[in-house]
Amino acid sequence: MHCFESLDHLKNSYNTRISQIVDEKKAGKKLVGTFCLFVPDEIIFAAGADRIILCGGKNDTVSIAEQYLPRNICPLIKSSFGSIVNNGCSGVKSCSHYGMVDLIVAENTCDSKKKMYELLGDYVPTYVIDLPQRPDSPEALNYFLGEIYKFKGVMEQLTGNKITVEQLKMEIKSSNETRQLLHRFYELRKIDPPPIRGVDVLKLLQKQYFLSTEELKASLRMLINEVEKIKPDGTHKPRIMISGCPMSSGNTKVPEIIESRGGVIVAEESCTGTRSFWDLVDENKDPMLALAERYIKIPCSCMSPNDRRIENILELAREFEVDGVVYYTLQFCHGYNIEKYKVQQALRKAGIPMLFIETDYSNSDIEQIGLRVDAFLEMLS
Amino acid sequence: MISVGIDAGSATTKAVLVKGDRSIIHTIRPTAFDFISAAEMAYKDVLDHAGVDKKAVDHVYSTGYGRNSIKFADKAISEITAHALGVYHLYPDVNGIIDIGGQDCKVISVNNGKVIDFLMNDKCAAGTGKFLEYTARALEVPIEELGELALDSKTPAGITSMCTVFAESEVISLRARGFTKEDIAAGLIENIAKRVAVMARQIGLKQNVAFVGGVAKNAGIKVALEKELGVSFCVPSEPQITGALGAALYSIR
Ligand code: SF4
Ligand code: SF4
Repeated sequence: MHCFESLDHLKNSYNTRISQIVDEKKAGKKLVGTFCLFVPDEIIFAAGADRIILCGGKNDTVSIAEQYLPRNICPLIKSSFGSIVNNGCSGVKSCSHYGMVDLIVAENTCDSKKKMYELLGDYVPTYVIDLPQRPDSPEALNYFLGEIYKFKGVMEQLTGNKITVEQLKMEIKSSNETRQLLHRFYELRKIDPPPIRGVDVLKLLQKQYFLSTEELKASLRMLINEVEKIKPDGTHKPRIMISGCPMSSGNTKVPEIIESRGGVIVAEESCTGTRSFWDLVDENKDPMLALAERYIKIPCSCMSPNDRRIENILELAREFEVDGVVYYTLQFCHGYNIEKYKVQQALRKAGIPMLFIETDYSNSDIEQIGLRVDAFLEMLS
Repeated sequence: MISVGIDAGSATTKAVLVKGDRSIIHTIRPTAFDFISAAEMAYKDVLDHAGVDKKAVDHVYSTGYGRNSIKFADKAISEITAHALGVYHLYPDVNGIIDIGGQDCKVISVNNGKVIDFLMNDKCAAGTGKFLEYTARALEVPIEELGELALDSKTPAGITSMCTVFAESEVISLRARGFTKEDIAAGLIENIAKRVAVMARQIGLKQNVAFVGGVAKNAGIKVALEKELGVSFCVPSEPQITGALGAALYSIR
C-alpha cells in the first residue's frame, strides 16, 4: 500500500504540538482538556483558549487507574484517568499533555465516565456539562442550550475574554471547514479498492482533537492532494466498516489485525470516525442554538432511544459499499455492548454480515481476534 | 488429486488425506509442546497409512490454533471455514455446527458448506473441554467416564458457576454435602450444555445440527445438549477430524 508523505509528517506532530502549547501558555492562553464529542470546540476557541483531547488509548496507565477505580469499567476511562492521576511512582510515564491542562471540560454521558469525573476534580479543575439523554424532545434541546450557555460563561471566566457572536460564527465556520474537508477525504475511500488504508486514516482521525485546527486542516489538505493523485491498484478486498466505541490514540489493535489479514477498512461509525464530522453546524442560525441542535444529535449510545445511530449505520454501509461490519466494543462499555443487539438485527435484515469483537487495550487476545477476523473475511469472499 | 489437511489444535493435531474426494485417511496425535513437529509427524502418519509419496501430494492446507506456524502448508484457513467444509462433506444438509474442543467452543451457522454466521468462546474455559477436564479431576473420575456416569443420574446436582475454578470448588463442596458422583457429573454436564445452548440460540441453530470436536465423543454431553436444545445431532464416527477434513477439501473446492 502507498506511503503518504503527509502522514510521515504527522509522526513528529506530538512534539511540535506540545511546544506550541508551551508557548501559548507562556503567552497566557488557557488549555482545556476534553473527553468527548459533545463538548463544542467552537465555544472553547471563541473564548481564545486552546483544546486537547484526553481520551487515552494506551494500556500502561490502566493499572494505575485500577488503584482508584473498579477493574470492571472500560479501558478508555481507566487509561485516561491513570494518565491524569499518575505520579510516576510505578515507573510509567504519562504523555506530557496530560499535565498541561488548566481545566477539564467533561460531560455527563455514560455512567462510568460520569462517576470518574467526580474523582477527577481532586486532581485537575473539572467542569461538567450536563446532557439530556432523550435527545429528540424540545425540552431536551432547551435544556442543552442552557447548559452550553453556562459553559460559555465558564469559558469566559477562565479566559477573561467575552465571547462575541462574531467570534462564535467565525469558529463555527472554521470547524465546518474541517468537517467538509473530512467529508471530501472520506469520499476518496469510496473508491474500490480504496487508495488509503483504514489504519492510516484512523491515526489521522485520532489526532483530530489533539492538533490545532490549523495544523489539522493543513494536514488534511496535503493528504487529500496526495491521495487524489494516486491510482489505487490491486484487486477488491473485503470492504469493512467498523462500528462502535471510540479508538483513542495508541489503540489501533483491531484495525491492524483486520488489515494485516486481508480486509480493508473503508469507514468507521465511531467517535474516531464519521460521528465526529458527519453533521455540520447551521451557519445561518443563531450560533448558540445552531450549536445546541448539532451537538445534541450525536448518536452516542448514552442516548435513548438511539435509533438515529442504527439508521446512520445502514446509510454508511450502503454509501461505502461495505461487505461486512465489524462491531467493535471495549470491555465493560455497556451502552455500545447492549446496542450491539439492535445493530445486529438491523444489519441482518439488510443482509450485511457482522462480526462482533469485544476487547480491551492489552495484547493478550490478538490471536483470538485474528482467528475471528480470518473466518469473517473467508466468509465474505 | 491428493490433498492433505492438517488441524493443529492446542491439545491434539489431526491430519486427513483425501484422494479424489472419496477415500479419507486420518490420524490424531497429541500436540504436546511443539505444533510444528506434531504437524510433521501427523503428515507423515497419513502418508504412510495411505502409502502415498510426499511428492504425489498436490496440496497441503493447515487450520487450527497453530495453523500459521505450519510452513510446509500451501495456505492456512480458519477453523470455522474448515469445520463448515468438513461437515458439509459428511452431512450436506446440515445448517448448524457445534464444535466443542479442548480449549474452545464454536457454533457455526452454515448453508451448503458456506459460513453464514459464527460465535466462539475461547476466552475462558466455560463451555469447553477444559471445564470438564478440571471438574472431572475434582470429582476424581476419568474424563472419559464422566458422560456415562451422568447418564445414570436422576437428580442432577445444580452447579451454577460458569467459571471453571469456582465450579471446581463447587464440586468439592457438593461432595462434602454427600451428593453422589453420578448427580454431580450430571450437574457438570448440564452446566456446560446450558452454556453452549445459549451460544447456539444466539445464532439461531434449530434443526440439522452436527456436533463435532473432541467433546462430541462424550455421550452424556451429547444427550444433555440435545435435551437442552430440543434437537438430535448428527455426530460423525470420528468427530475430531472435521476441521482437518475441511482443510483437505478446501483445495478441491
Ligand atoms: S462514544 Fe459517546 S461518550 Fe464517548 S466520545 Fe463519543 S459521544 Fe462521547
Ligand atoms: S467507551 Fe463506552 S464506557 Fe468507555 S467512555 Fe465511551 S461510552 Fe463510556
